[in-house]
Amino acid sequence: MGNKQTVFTHEQLEAYQDCTFFTRKEIMRLFYRYQDLAPQLVPLDYTTCPDVKVPYELIGSMPELKDNPFRQRIAQVFSEDGDGHMTLDNFLDMFSVMSEMAPRDLKAYYAFKIYDFNNDDYICAWDLEQTVTKLTRGELSAEEVSLVCEKVLDEADGDHDGRLSLEDFQNMILRAPDFLSTFHIRI
Amino acid sequence: MLSDDHVNEIIIQKLIASLIPMTSRDRIKAIRNQPRTMEEKRNLSRGGLTITTEDEGRAKAHLTWWKIVDKEKSKQTHHILQLNCCIQCLNSISRAYRRSKNSLSEILNSISLWQKTLKIIGGKFGTSVLSYFNFLRWLLKFNIFSFILNFSFIIIPQFTVAEKNTLQFTGLEFFTGVGYFRDTVMYYGFYTNSTIQHGNSGASYNMQLAYIFTIGACLTTCFFSLLFSMATYFRNNFINPHIYSGGITKLIFCWDFTVTQEKAVKLKQKNLSTEIRENLSELRQENSKLTFNQLLTRFSAYMVAWVVSTGVAIACCAAVYYLAEYNLEFLKTHSNPGAVLLLPFVVSCINLAVPCIYSTFRLVERYEMPRHEVYVLLIRNIFLKISIIGILCYYWLNTVALSGEECWETLIGQDIYRLLLMDFVFSLVNSFLGEFLRRIIGMQLITSLGLQEFDIARNVLELIYAQTLVWIGIFFCPLLPFIQMIMLFIMFYSKNISLMMNFQPPSKAWRASQMMTFFIFLLFFPSFTGVLCTLAITIWRLKPSADCGPFRGLPLFIHSIYSWIDTLSTRPGYLWVVWIYRNLIGSVHFFFILTLIVLIITYLYWQIAEGRKIMIRLLHEQIINEGKDKMFLIEKLIKLQDMEKKANPSSLVLERREVEVSLEAALGTPGTRDLRFRRSVQEGNPRA
Repeated sequence: MGNKQTVFTHEQLEAYQDCTFFTRKEIMRLFYRYQDLAPQLVPLDYTTCPDVKVPYELIGSMPELKDNPFRQRIAQVFSEDGDGHMTLDNFLDMFSVMSEMAPRDLKAYYAFKIYDFNNDDYICAWDLEQTVTKLTRGELSAEEVSLVCEKVLDEADGDHDGRLSLEDFQNMILRAPDFLSTFHIRI
Repeated sequence: MLSDDHVNEIIIQKLIASLIPMTSRDRIKAIRNQPRTMEEKRNLSRGGLTITTEDEGRAKAHLTWWKIVDKEKSKQTHHILQLNCCIQCLNSISRAYRRSKNSLSEILNSISLWQKTLKIIGGKFGTSVLSYFNFLRWLLKFNIFSFILNFSFIIIPQFTVAEKNTLQFTGLEFFTGVGYFRDTVMYYGFYTNSTIQHGNSGASYNMQLAYIFTIGACLTTCFFSLLFSMATYFRNNFINPHIYSGGITKLIFCWDFTVTQEKAVKLKQKNLSTEIRENLSELRQENSKLTFNQLLTRFSAYMVAWVVSTGVAIACCAAVYYLAEYNLEFLKTHSNPGAVLLLPFVVSCINLAVPCIYSTFRLVERYEMPRHEVYVLLIRNIFLKISIIGILCYYWLNTVALSGEECWETLIGQDIYRLLLMDFVFSLVNSFLGEFLRRIIGMQLITSLGLQEFDIARNVLELIYAQTLVWIGIFFCPLLPFIQMIMLFIMFYSKNISLMMNFQPPSKAWRASQMMTFFIFLLFFPSFTGVLCTLAITIWRLKPSADCGPFRGLPLFIHSIYSWIDTLSTRPGYLWVVWIYRNLIGSVHFFFILTLIVLIITYLYWQIAEGRKIMIRLLHEQIINEGKDKMFLIEKLIKLQDMEKKANPSSLVLERREVEVSLEAALGTPGTRDLRFRRSVQEGNPRA
């Protein structure tokens, strides 16, 4: 791989390689995907570390995310200020965690944050209701939804405090070996 | 009261302290696994970290790797300084190695097959159907490797001394494998048994040894690769098998993020709602006890079904065996070129029809959990396929090999080639014709049926069956991996096209990881070990044919190794090889001691695992107790506060959340952030 690209300095690219699970080629490919989202906004020269944020509406319109029921939460969790507008760093971070090389604990941590709608470090009954509603798109009645939330808390709440902490969530993920392959967005 | 920033600073300091003693490779891995933003990770990896604290006007604390290392250096004496230089040399070497590994993985990724196609399949059908295609791609790698090995070490040398092929070529050879192909590198019989020597340079190439060692190396690599994959899958998927896995929690939290197509997502949401409803209704249903009569009927239904299915399998095997013998007699007298295709045709028909018969048993048997139904069907199909391969191997090794035919190894190779080809043709016809017809029926004629769903288990079993045949056939037909490569390639595209046209996404959750673990285990246990047994019997017990192949004239195949060891023992430079052979490989005592050691280690590990299970259970109970304690203390604190508030209305009252936080800080129980750091440090620590 020659140093033909002029987007990043050598150190920047090395740093990205060290901090994400991507190779140099994939990082460049991701950069061009990011740039395609907003060609006028994103400069082709990142050597000066410009402070550019692509608004959430464009991120949410990516083909990999546009039909995902949790796309807004994903963008919010990985963006800098929690509003869904992402810099290139956030963008690379997001796809690095969602790639197949990320370890289970890292994915579990971010999945927990995605399902934690009110950002209080716990998945409470309200968060669960939001999750179930997004997953079933109004097919279930309100009574069924609350029954589901009750059952989930019954099954997964280890210390019986009425909500799921990160440890409960990670413990539950250990029993679901499919999690690694389903919490994966291919780009 | 500790501020957030202060807590963060302490955590980062602890993190850096834990990262210093690590090697740079482990450090990179630990930083990469940290759930932090890119900026923080970059700062950590660069080694420069600016921590600003606002309270009490503290000055910026500036930690760098080099500063710490320098501090350490100045304390050391001279010769340890030299050691540090060595360590720095090693660091730069490891950095260069890491960079070369990165570029190698880049190259491998760029030639990774079918990435885009797999993304489209996953986008429409989800992870479960994707697992079949991943399995196909993984098997393709085995065949590519075997082919490269065979090609380099036995086919190319054979080409250099190839005799002219005097037979005629008609188109039928592609199907029957006889005729022109008999005298090509395709079959065992064509290979020379001489030591190839070109020119007077003296570099000689012993074809006998090359043949047996290449095949051995192929199979050994496959063995270790299978073992390694199986162990990885077991480790990832069977962490806590004895704890009952909650049904509905997994449905909620394991949404398939790979599904990206709009219609597929909507369908998946609908299917998920149905599954959740079913799950809820299972709860609400009382656990009805069956009467004795009902139990008896059910049990007898199971018995009858099992007896019938086993009977059908045994009947098929007997039919195949007698047909094979009859075919052999028939071919001796008549010479109809198409008649050799009868046996493969019948075997493929059995493989197609009998699983359908097995799935009709579902109407008679009733299982409580649909999962049990899937397993029972799977076991019956596996038994059928393995017994057919078993009976064919018995026929080949007992009848064909001892029949006194001129070149029995080539005959076996041709048989395997025909079986494989017929299986492939049937699979293509099924994809293009059968599934297409099913779609027409489902959409136009009987619209209540709808589109069919991709039967992952059946297709994976077909792949395993084909791969078993390839492994058996490698010895008799060295070009077989190449043929299987082409077949897998074509099959990927045909299955893909048929999938897109004729199938709908799966409606039920399919435990892809556990099933894949089971299938890889299946590939290892009856399939590969059966192949090893067959080849062991061939090499150690059968007499090679007298005038064809690399082992012609020897009393047993293994005698080539014996004579090689004998020639080596006359040369002084290679006596160590002879020693290893005589005392390690050929000695019974060595294997006895080795087995004993392996059994002892297994027993110890088993006991350790049992102890850990007990530990997990105790810790789980402890978590529950701690939670109860926390609730109790919080209630008490709030009650006390209420009492105090009633007594003194103007005193400060903490919110419940603040009570929790201060309780955590006081008790030293970890909050979310601290645990995050703790776990990442554990992950980052180099494994012994």
